[in-house]
Amino acid sequence: MESLPLMSHNIPSQESLRELCSPWLASLSPQHVFRIYTDTSDFYAIEYGDILLLDHRLYLVRHNAKEGRFGLDDEVKFWVKRVIDLQDGVTRITKLVFFERFTATIGGIPFECYRSPRKEARILDLVKGHPNFMQGFWVTDDKDNVVRILDVIYGQSLAAMIADIHLDHETYFYQRLPDILDHYIECVEAIAFLHRHGEKHGDIRRDHILIDHDSGRYRWIDFDYNFLHRENMFGYDLFGLGNVLMYLVGKGDILTKEVRENHPTAFQRLYAEDVNIVFNNRVANLRKIFPYIPKPLNDILLRFSKGSSVFYDDIDPFLTDLREARAFFQQPENERTSP
Amino acid sequence: MTAPSERNLLIAVDASENSGKAVDYVGRLLGGVGGDFHITLLHLILEPDADYFPSEEEHRIWIDEKLEESVRLLEGYKNVLITYGFDADRIRVFTPIRFCPSVSECILEQKDILEYGTIVVGRKGLSPKEEILLGSVSSRLVKLAKNCTVWVVNA
Repeated sequence: MESLPLMSHNIPSQESLRELCSPWLASLSPQHVFRIYTDTSDFYAIEYGDILLLDHRLYLVRHNAKEGRFGLDDEVKFWVKRVIDLQDGVTRITKLVFFERFTATIGGIPFECYRSPRKEARILDLVKGHPNFMQGFWVTDDKDNVVRILDVIYGQSLAAMIADIHLDHETYFYQRLPDILDHYIECVEAIAFLHRHGEKHGDIRRDHILIDHDSGRYRWIDFDYNFLHRENMFGYDLFGLGNVLMYLVGKGDILTKEVRENHPTAFQRLYAEDVNIVFNNRVANLRKIFPYIPKPLNDILLRFSKGSSVFYDDIDPFLTDLREARAFFQQPENERTSP
Repeated sequence: MTAPSERNLLIAVDASENSGKAVDYVGRLLGGVGGDFHITLLHLILEPDADYFPSEEEHRIWIDEKLEESVRLLEGYKNVLITYGFDADRIRVFTPIRFCPSVSECILEQKDILEYGTIVVGRKGLSPKEEILLGSVSSRLVKLAKNCTVWVVNA
């Protein structure tokens, strides 16, 4: 791939851009005029076929990213654009600066949230080369906007992967979960790495872990969320990790309504304290539904249950407990007796 | 005998009702009893990351507003202590602006600077879900404090 040597504000001609972009612009008319942006503040105006000129490098804009969850239609994220890096022809993702501040209510507790491009940029620097995080770099545009330029991770989200497993729970538990837990523990270690460096992920969810199709590694994405924390800046991360673990062990969210319909005997054993501490329609005490879940693993889940009076306020004890629970699966099957 | 530093009390406050009760408690307990007590009313202004503010101007306005609120708050608490019999010149007010990964750790940093023997805080009485999501300042203070006494005043 040929590249144009660019000095600052050395704007390439339309002809040279047309030649550079020709492999990707079959659908554009020959009269297409490339608009070149060195200031990305107005990200709504930047469209398919436009050019970003950032830190002497050209990027051809393809389309806006989308994000969907819980069956909702995908929401267009106008500030996140797929681009072609015209220096090497690689598809990347650019995240432009979008100031957003809002109050989110979680379990009735208000959190003042905001997007923080600088936080994401700091973390990108921190995790460079780390296999469990998305990779990329950042530059500033002419208006000092912090633009993040990310490698694309090809692969499905953890949530989608679990949803695609068509096994009964017990088979899943013994055949698939041990390997999934190993990957999950790597992800928790990755978050511990952030915490040790004074950073929080900020938006830990099961669809913010992508399973890299090439390496098979689980990788965290999207660290630009931030919120005004109170005493424990890592509390919300820990809660998110607990929810993801509950999802993995349950092979999906185990909703009280479904338990009532599908496991009526188990439902009679459920008490009010057995549900998730915040999401009261999800069962946390999963051993009451699936009795082969070993106690050490279930005890971790109970720390996130409504009945708990002991919580993880630090990620290290959580990791220690996880590793101990995982060790259970390494015992020969005939020696496994749930304590 | 008590060491001089033990008569230095640090009352860490915010605008909550429980902070008011902590100040009131100290006033009722020690006001007018004499002794060489020195009290510092500490109000930490918790500064967010720079990205919280779309512009430097908004950041400046935010700090001005918070400082103004803090002055009013601490003046009110100081008057409570004076009413209980403390000398005004033995009460100090302090409003540092800090980015605090943990409020309790920021309070303990202040304690170390002026060698306070006692830290006083109000207890919010958090629900379990608040404790897991937000963390409890008083619980963590009790856990982390060394070489000092922590009074946790129940609201």
